Amino acid sequence: MVALMRLLIFGLIALTVLYLAISWYSRSVRRRKMERDWEEAGRPGDRNTYIETGMAQYEQSLRKRLIWLVYIVPVVTVVVIIYLTNFM
Amino acid sequence: MVYVKWVFWGLFWTGVIAFLHYTLPQHDVVRITDTYEKRVNPGDNALFWSNADTGEDPTATERDVFFIQTFRANDKPMIYRNEDTGWGWPPYFKFDTSNLQAEASDMMSKKSAENAQWVVVRHYGWRNEFFSIYPNAVSIWPVAGPDVQIIPWVKIVILLLLAASAWAIRVRWRRFWNGRQEQGDTEWGVGRG
Repeated sequence: MVALMRLLIFGLIALTVLYLAISWYSRSVRRRKMERDWEEAGRPGDRNTYIETGMAQYEQSLRKRLIWLVYIVPVVTVVVIIYLTNFM
Repeated sequence: MVYVKWVFWGLFWTGVIAFLHYTLPQHDVVRITDTYEKRVNPGDNALFWSNADTGEDPTATERDVFFIQTFRANDKPMIYRNEDTGWGWPPYFKFDTSNLQAEASDMMSKKSAENAQWVVVRHYGWRNEFFSIYPNAVSIWPVAGPDVQIIPWVKIVILLLLAASAWAIRVRWRRFWNGRQEQGDTEWGVGRG
């Protein structure tokens, strides 16, 4: 059972690092887009308020929730491989 | 200096290609002539044996390993080991070693057979006589004859995904450093050596 534990623990660590890296990257991409949007919209009102409103919307968005696929896809892949290798 | 760079990238790409060639699945069309079990005692070649932790004690130094003895279409012999990979590397998650051995011994077909039974063996790994290294058979299925074409879908998909993600990371990496460069050239970089 040591091997299974090792896979679960190191897998969890690796996927968490990947999850954090992708969500940080995705957030920074969105922030840059908001900055550009604010300029292109003719600089309406306060820049920070504009960006923060956009970021609050991002936190609720489907795009942010899709990052959970980082955990879901590998687990599903492993289950499918186990099935294909051993029970087909 | 330029040679150091060449040697470095040469070694790097040799390593990457060797790793992928060892790990990714390959297919052979063969005729199984025998299956057996042999006591092995891995030494310097221990890296090329699985010894997966699937219920048994993985610290045992000597163990019995299943082997599948075959002939390829060109009449050259090829011997596969048949070992669990379990939860370890490479991620084939193979636990059904004994079942596979039963299937293999059910499809035996000698040279003298009237209708030879050809099978495809999906395996990973290398055969090397000098170090007693055997590829590990992952699955076996019967085919019509020795000249069937197998399209390696798994390999195609994995290599495409690898290339795509390497490219995606490379593009972002470049963009990041170019962005830094431009910033450096303007206000913040003034006076910087």
